[in-house]
Amino acid sequence: MRGYLLKRIPSALLVLLLASFLIFAILRLVPGDAAEVLAGPDAGPESVAAIRGQLGLDEPLLAQYASWIGDLVRGDLGPSYAIGGQVADLIGDGLGATAELTLGALFFTVTLGLLFGVLGAASRRRPVRVVVHALTTGALAVPPFVTGVLLVLVFAVGLSVLPSGGRVGLLEAPDLELQYLLLPSLCLALPSAAVLGRYLKDSLERAFAEDYIRTATAAGVPRRRLLWRHALPNALPPVVTLLGMQTGQLLGGAVLVEAIFAWPGLGQLAEQALNRRDYPVVQDLLLLLVAVFVLVQLLTDVVYAALDPRIRWE
Amino acid sequence: MTTLSFVRARKPGPGAARNPHQPYRKALATTRGRIGLALALLVTLAGLLAPLLSSHVPTAQSGEALLAPGSPGHLLGTDDLGRDLLSRVLYGIRTDLEVIALAVPLGALLGCAFALLAAVHPVLDTVVQRVFDLVLAFPGLILALAITAVLGPGRLPVVVVIALAEIPVFGRQLRAGILVQREREYAVAARVGGTGRARLLLRHILPNCADPLVVQLAVSLTVAVFLEGAMSFLGVGIRPPEPTLGNMLSQALPYLAQAPHFAAGPLLVVTLLVLGFSLLSEALNREIRR
Repeated sequence: MRGYLLKRIPSALLVLLLASFLIFAILRLVPGDAAEVLAGPDAGPESVAAIRGQLGLDEPLLAQYASWIGDLVRGDLGPSYAIGGQVADLIGDGLGATAELTLGALFFTVTLGLLFGVLGAASRRRPVRVVVHALTTGALAVPPFVTGVLLVLVFAVGLSVLPSGGRVGLLEAPDLELQYLLLPSLCLALPSAAVLGRYLKDSLERAFAEDYIRTATAAGVPRRRLLWRHALPNALPPVVTLLGMQTGQLLGGAVLVEAIFAWPGLGQLAEQALNRRDYPVVQDLLLLLVAVFVLVQLLTDVVYAALDPRIRWE
Repeated sequence: MTTLSFVRARKPGPGAARNPHQPYRKALATTRGRIGLALALLVTLAGLLAPLLSSHVPTAQSGEALLAPGSPGHLLGTDDLGRDLLSRVLYGIRTDLEVIALAVPLGALLGCAFALLAAVHPVLDTVVQRVFDLVLAFPGLILALAITAVLGPGRLPVVVVIALAEIPVFGRQLRAGILVQREREYAVAARVGGTGRARLLLRHILPNCADPLVVQLAVSLTVAVFLEGAMSFLGVGIRPPEPTLGNMLSQALPYLAQAPHFAAGPLLVVTLLVLGFSLLSEALNREIRR
């Protein structure tokens, strides 16, 4: 296991390093730098140059990169140019909201995924299996912005039981917050729940074909107990790994779902910072998102290797 | 006599060449494949015939009827600026298809080129793998945001984002295929028989890796529709007045309570299109996996 970690962790760090180069390079390619934004449209070239000197933007690129990474490591993200406030505060607020949304979506992914998987594999009624298959096909194919608009149309406009977007904050009003959280997290969870459900269904069907199930059936174990106590525990390990990968997907998808439901998370912050050309925020935010994503992938791989020793020897 | 030929037809001898197009034809003949193809063709045709089918100029605004529901003059109604929704949906399909038809094959070709490059030498393989890892380290939409920071909104970043997202997908698929096929007996025999490396790779191994790539192509079409729409929702996609399925939906979002018909057209068309593509890919996948 240690050997696997020694191989896997450096390669994750390498990807992160390359990503930081790429993000830095991308933001230097953007027409018009931060000094021009700060100085405003009417500023003369001298004042722009003065601000550029203040911000250290006239230093060599390598020095700028080093000071960016150095500040990051020390936890000093500096002030935001356009949005206002400290970058660390902006990102902290957004991170809280996005984490909440992702956790909500994870809840629905697990519950709906289990439901789809178990019903799809174990229901003895054919119509139930057909409906589950149709639902998962639909949830996999239809983009979240379509399901999002449909959810708003049905629950916010048609039935008017849930709000169509926004957030009140978990600490301020927990019960109200749950209402606001419901639709976005469901919308974000649906594709992942479908993937999980499909995978669990296959996994369960394979488990049901095993000899020990036949033996247990012959010994008179009731079908319900067979499913929950014998087949399901044996079908779960690969599904757990899949869940890890889906968590990464949820983080990526959150950006879109936040835009649909006006959820003030990292995605909304990124969009706002890009539109107002607030480059320090964009730069730190992109790297943070990539880092979280790489970390989730790393954890998934490590868990998978812990569960299945063959992986470590590849 | 008839029974005998029937048996022979079912069990081809070891030397009998399998028609490589057989599984595709069979896949399209299944119910799933037929419905998928019909849906995809229906929407595509509507987009191609947009200039003939639409009654108005898609960007023309009329001052008197804003957010009006369907009427004989405007079959799907009008949007917040009084533009004819039917015409906008039709031209929206057209824009989406133009972007997708350019971006998906571009990404697929580049991905395959990278995979072939990786097959040449282990060092190149490592480099290419890291490039794929790097692209995959950016969740799709984050990549979209980063690209648009440089290119600004419009058609070009949408094409670039879709193509870029597809490169590692196709690349990894083909790389895995090559690794398996390379060890198969026919490949070893060809190598021993003195077939050159390039010829072996391009003429023998590549054709045997094609099937999963075709399935992936169908899957990627859905992903492309998703990315175009998602970028519009994030405000970094193709901007109005030019209609796309995604930017129409995102414009309809604030008016859902007031004028639900605004969203209805694009909602229906996107759903039909992605369902068509994914039914097609599912049908192909089932037939090819046999």
